[in-house]
Amino acid sequence: MTWIRGLDRLSLAGLAVLALLVGAALAGTLLGVGGAQDAIVGPRLAPPDGQWPLGTDQLGRSMLPRVLAGIGTTLLLSAVAVAVTATASTLLGLVAGYRGGWVGEVVLRGVDVLYAFPTIVLAILVAAVLGPGRSATLASIVLVTVPLMTRLVKVAAETVARRDFVTSALISGASHRYVLARHVLPNVAGTVAVQGTYALSVGILVEGGLSFLGFGVQPPASSLGALIQQGGIYLLAAPWLLVWPGMVLVAAVLAITVFGDGLRDRLEPRDSRALK
Amino acid sequence: MRRIGTVLVAAAAVLGSACAAPVVAPTVTPVAPGLLAIADPAAPPGGVLELQIPIDTGAASGLDPQLADVAVSWQLMSLVYETLVVIGPGFRIEPGLAVSWETPSPTEYVFHLREGVTFANGRPMDAADVVGSLERLLAGPGVWATQVGPVASVAAVDDRTVRVVLDRPYTPFLAALANTPAAVLPMREIAAGTVDPATTMLGTGPFVAEFHRQDVLWRFARRPGYWAPARPAADKIIVSIVPQESTRIAALQNQSADFAVLGNVDAPQLLAGVRGVVALPQATTDFYYLMLNNNAPGGKFADPRVRTAVNIAMDRTQIAAVATAGLGTPTGVTPAGLPDACDPAALPSATADLDEARRLLAEAGATDLSFTLTAFSTEPAPAVAQVIQQNLARIGVRVTIQQLDEGSWAGAVYGEVPARFDAALSWFAGYADAGMVAQWWKPEQAQFNIGFMAPDAGLTAAVDTALAAPEGPGRPVALRELCAAVDRDAQMIPLVTRPVVVGYRADAVSPTVFATEGYGNVLRRAADFRVLGR
Repeated sequence: MTWIRGLDRLSLAGLAVLALLVGAALAGTLLGVGGAQDAIVGPRLAPPDGQWPLGTDQLGRSMLPRVLAGIGTTLLLSAVAVAVTATASTLLGLVAGYRGGWVGEVVLRGVDVLYAFPTIVLAILVAAVLGPGRSATLASIVLVTVPLMTRLVKVAAETVARRDFVTSALISGASHRYVLARHVLPNVAGTVAVQGTYALSVGILVEGGLSFLGFGVQPPASSLGALIQQGGIYLLAAPWLLVWPGMVLVAAVLAITVFGDGLRDRLEPRDSRALK
Repeated sequence: MRRIGTVLVAAAAVLGSACAAPVVAPTVTPVAPGLLAIADPAAPPGGVLELQIPIDTGAASGLDPQLADVAVSWQLMSLVYETLVVIGPGFRIEPGLAVSWETPSPTEYVFHLREGVTFANGRPMDAADVVGSLERLLAGPGVWATQVGPVASVAAVDDRTVRVVLDRPYTPFLAALANTPAAVLPMREIAAGTVDPATTMLGTGPFVAEFHRQDVLWRFARRPGYWAPARPAADKIIVSIVPQESTRIAALQNQSADFAVLGNVDAPQLLAGVRGVVALPQATTDFYYLMLNNNAPGGKFADPRVRTAVNIAMDRTQIAAVATAGLGTPTGVTPAGLPDACDPAALPSATADLDEARRLLAEAGATDLSFTLTAFSTEPAPAVAQVIQQNLARIGVRVTIQQLDEGSWAGAVYGEVPARFDAALSWFAGYADAGMVAQWWKPEQAQFNIGFMAPDAGLTAAVDTALAAPEGPGRPVALRELCAAVDRDAQMIPLVTRPVVVGYRADAVSPTVFATEGYGNVLRRAADFRVLGR
């Protein structure tokens, strides 16, 4: 945990907010705080009060468990998708950067094809093929975040592959697989970690966008995007339907972004040692 | 920091002010019996009317009105085609292309045709067109032939008189003739092959279709030579297909639409503070119903006890109160609001309790029942589906909702025989006669539901008896028995009526809007609409 001590205060605040959100999601999902998120428990569109702290929605469901469940769904979907992205991008980027040549070109041109699609258009295309739901959301986030991470890992691996210690290892008889695992991978891990936080915030926004368009999680499941989509139309009549999930979405993306910035500073020694 | 603070204070003020004011539905008072709004006859004619509706005509059935099988098709086609009789306010049957009619016997109708009616190509309409249209409808594959009933013969008495003879009394006959699929077509041109109604719209109606791009736009223009003087009032009607509810609401707010058909049951509240915008909830006899697939291989609903248990668990009052915000009402198969309709609270399923439902599930070995409910995404259907899910949770039945766009939904529900879905949600137009919609409970005739519904001789007999019962004290009894038979069958379970919200800019259009509608036709009096201020 020594790396945490090296983070600046803003990054620590981001980490704390992120931890709070994860805690809230766990409280809603595992401890049942606020009750069942899909149960009709009160009057329609009741404003926040003592009984319904965040108000009720258009079906008389308490917004508190729905927002908590929405945080969980959004963070989980994004995190799983980013884990898949990190794995795929690291493999592709390592191979492309280390081997270079036609292998690198094929990988790069492949991600260029994905790059050619605007984010939300690509996500809608995936949803149209797979059908709306969690699978489509996961696949969309992966396809949207893979290109950039693959390119960055490729560049980092390319740089590392030209370093003397790699050449020495090869001359001393080490296999390519060993060199990749022992020398190249650890040196690109920082890039993957930093880019992972960026991908996480992109994933949250893609999930939100897909659900906003009706291609994300299906009712009565809750996600931040789905809640914003359902609440958007009630902005003036029942703003609590939009305000709570909207605020949480903004907080989550901001927290992840500032934490990612701090992580980058921490993991890039040259920057952290530069004269200020 | 000061700016951030200001923003936070403003946001809190908006939230606080809204929180202080509970969301309350505004009350709507009819301006005349059966009418929510009447077009101002003093407003000058002319102008272009911009409308927005959520879905287009059914692409698969083309533009032939006799094949049109969805209400939105009837609505748009009614701008071009006309019928012998029409539905007036309060479901009254009124003269259309027939100025009058007689019923010399319970099985005989004689129609006297209106003078001066022409098709859009200028040719006068005559009795041969009426006879040919009815014969074509009865011989064709369109589902509306079932609704027109047991017609034995159609004959022209003279150029302006048509006689229809039925095999047996059929009370909803006139109400069936009042719908667009029974429109009078230009039969001479169709017989000569110069007009194909699947691709060309040539009718006697007030408008002609100038342009159509499927799922995007319709443009209708006033037809010179229309038989009614001073109608239509508008020069053009542009109909945009806008599936997103929020976009249609925003279009009224930002004045990019004059008139919109809305599905969000809270639209009257959402638009209440918007200057110049009027949102009127229109009651309809249309109703949502739950389809339980009886034909799926290894299906979960082949056992009638399971279907009955599901039916018992349906809390129609809660569905109406929550999913339709009280704008819809519980109903049996005879749509609530129509004369002689049965009382849904007296249905066998409504008088049984949840313990009975659990007992039936246990008897059928289905205590661990779970299934997928396929619903379309047009509001308020997703809300209805979610309340159904909660209703069924009370008896331990788990429901997964699969929400699809209209096209995908139709493919999943009607695309295969036998159908493979577990359960699905849809709505029927309720028409203007309490017995009509029950025709669809005869799958061997309706055909569209043969994939998921098994014919039942007893149910068919109940439907036929109710439809043959003449107006009088015996009809409510027959309709009550029909309701009970449909309720026991539980292959298609009627739930609640479907409300529609009609939104318009009062500074842009003066429309005529019926308080009640049975054929999904909000544009029923579009020829009367007056465009204002342009």
